[in-house]
Amino acid sequence: MTLSDTPSRAARRRAGTFLIAAALLLGACSKAPPASVAPAAADSVALRARADSLASARRHDSVTASARADSLVRARADSLARAAEAHRADSVRAQILRDSTDAAPGTASGLDAGSEAAIAATVSFELDRSDLSADAQRLLDRKVAILRLSPRLELQVEGHCDERGPDEYNLALGNRRAASVKRYLVDHGIADARLTIISYGEERPADPRPTEEAWAKNRRAEFRVTRGAR
Amino acid sequence: MKRVLVLALLVPGGLRAQDSTQTGVRIGITYAPGTRPALSVVPYSAALLDTASTVLARDLEQSDRFEMMSAPAAARGQEARNLDLRPFTAMGAAFVVTLSTEADGVYAVVVDARSGQQSARTLLFDAGARDRRLAVHRGADEIVRAIAGQPGIAATRVLFVRNGRIMRLDADGANAELLHTAGWPALSPAWHPDGRRFAYTAFVRSGQPIVVQDFGGRREMVPGTDEGLNITPSFSPDGRWIAYAHGTEAGMDIYLSEQAGGGGPEGGAWGPPQRLTAGRFADNLSPVWSPDGSRIAFISNRARSPQLYVMSADGTGQEVLARFDFGATGTTSAPAWSPDGSLIAFHREVGGTPQVFVLDVAARSLRQITGASRNEDPSWAPDGRHLVFVSSRTGPRELWIVDLETGRLRQLTRLGGTRLPAWSPRLSPSEGRE
Repeated sequence: MTLSDTPSRAARRRAGTFLIAAALLLGACSKAPPASVAPAAADSVALRARADSLASARRHDSVTASARADSLVRARADSLARAAEAHRADSVRAQILRDSTDAAPGTASGLDAGSEAAIAATVSFELDRSDLSADAQRLLDRKVAILRLSPRLELQVEGHCDERGPDEYNLALGNRRAASVKRYLVDHGIADARLTIISYGEERPADPRPTEEAWAKNRRAEFRVTRGAR
Repeated sequence: MKRVLVLALLVPGGLRAQDSTQTGVRIGITYAPGTRPALSVVPYSAALLDTASTVLARDLEQSDRFEMMSAPAAARGQEARNLDLRPFTAMGAAFVVTLSTEADGVYAVVVDARSGQQSARTLLFDAGARDRRLAVHRGADEIVRAIAGQPGIAATRVLFVRNGRIMRLDADGANAELLHTAGWPALSPAWHPDGRRFAYTAFVRSGQPIVVQDFGGRREMVPGTDEGLNITPSFSPDGRWIAYAHGTEAGMDIYLSEQAGGGGPEGGAWGPPQRLTAGRFADNLSPVWSPDGSRIAFISNRARSPQLYVMSADGTGQEVLARFDFGATGTTSAPAWSPDGSLIAFHREVGGTPQVFVLDVAARSLRQITGASRNEDPSWAPDGRHLVFVSSRTGPRELWIVDLETGRLRQLTRLGGTRLPAWSPRLSPSEGRE
């Protein structure tokens, strides 16, 4: 039984380019990123925080330069900036944990009823697979058309699994299903930045019964509007 | 107490058909009959002592190291100094456990039934004991150590997930407690080796971060896990590092984060993520450390089917750990490294149903532990002979404990929908590791 489809070469190339780009971005933002930090883990909050703190360090630099900058002052500013950055990252993380729910607020799609239904249409998967059937591709082609017509529209793709596989592995499988859907949409011209992915593994079944019919319903990708068309 | 020899459920031919390592499969019970000394615990009528002796007797029973015998009726309430041993020796008891109330507290006294000599004496609790029940558990573990040479596992607890919430339970099934009370679901609890903290995956609005939480409810998020999918946390044996799997559109990889200050109870901030695997369009997850901290076992589907691999703790030397037949061996998941480092328990699908296996790390030989219904997600007790795992043998998913030496099985939970258990280190009454 195979567990992953082979991604297209184009997708591999694109992912490679993305990783390189992300690595360059990291390199540009910070003089000495820890060599071991993988670009995959870089996040926009940290990048923003780093950019902010560098900007404030630069402002500080210009003041001290006019008063004959000395390296001690610069070092102190640098460490203050680093502390501020760490503090900001800490408070962002604390804020995330203060949320009392995992449910994201709904966003109006701004689409007509037909298009809204087509965007929301669930894509199904075979047992332990993340590749897209012909049916799934037809559903995604309709979404591509709507996404092209509504360039503001942004989506989150949610990967889900049935309950039969290992609980934790199913989170990886759901992730692969969502990534597979996103890859298809990106391969068909939708901008990468308009699509985010998330996996819920087997944690949110559409149908909780232990039947073949329910399992088939649960092996799916769902689509949530994160930014409306208008 | 049911005494089910799970190993006897196996059909050797069926196992060979599923597994490529037929030469390495050992089926059988390593337990040699006759090595379990007969032991009797004297009951008491006074409320305090009755509770203590009842808890003690159950702990000793659940250590699976003794043949438990009921005490003769005449012995009820007798303390060690005036105990008549003759009815015990007549029954064939080798050891008698009595309680002794003394000025500084209540002691458990182990008497050798034949010689009449005290073979062990341990303080159960004094007037100021903070957690009397845990103190009695620790006394039981000391009695096991005195007789069997190794401490028992009564003073331990199990974390698990039910309905997306993390719960904690004493190893004897008492004191079920809901730990995680935020509004979002949580998964995959893992004990910090200090016994005072645990890590898990939180399902928050923006993603699935790794959270480290103490039993006072204080929570911190591991940096680098604030976006994307972050699952299967695991602490290094020295508590200095946390390993977890981080998912992106390109797959899942194992990352480490180091705690400033060396992982002590007053540890500092967690450091930036450091990547250990580079799975291009593969998933690497479920890292678990060897007890010496030198290696990490993990699950990877780099060869399509998810299987058990191992690497050095710095990410080098990645190799297959449990051999498998491409296309034939079932999905392998949820590894747990035994406390002495010699074994790794995991579950693997056999005919589409997960079963618990134990791998001998040096010999690379496999032993199938379960055979009926779904059995998954094993976690080791600190004695290295008991495993807690999830089983649906009675219908709903419940936690069960198996003693690998005797094959004895007991049901730990009767809650329905319990899963992903994690067995603690030995705990002291102040909740930390002893």
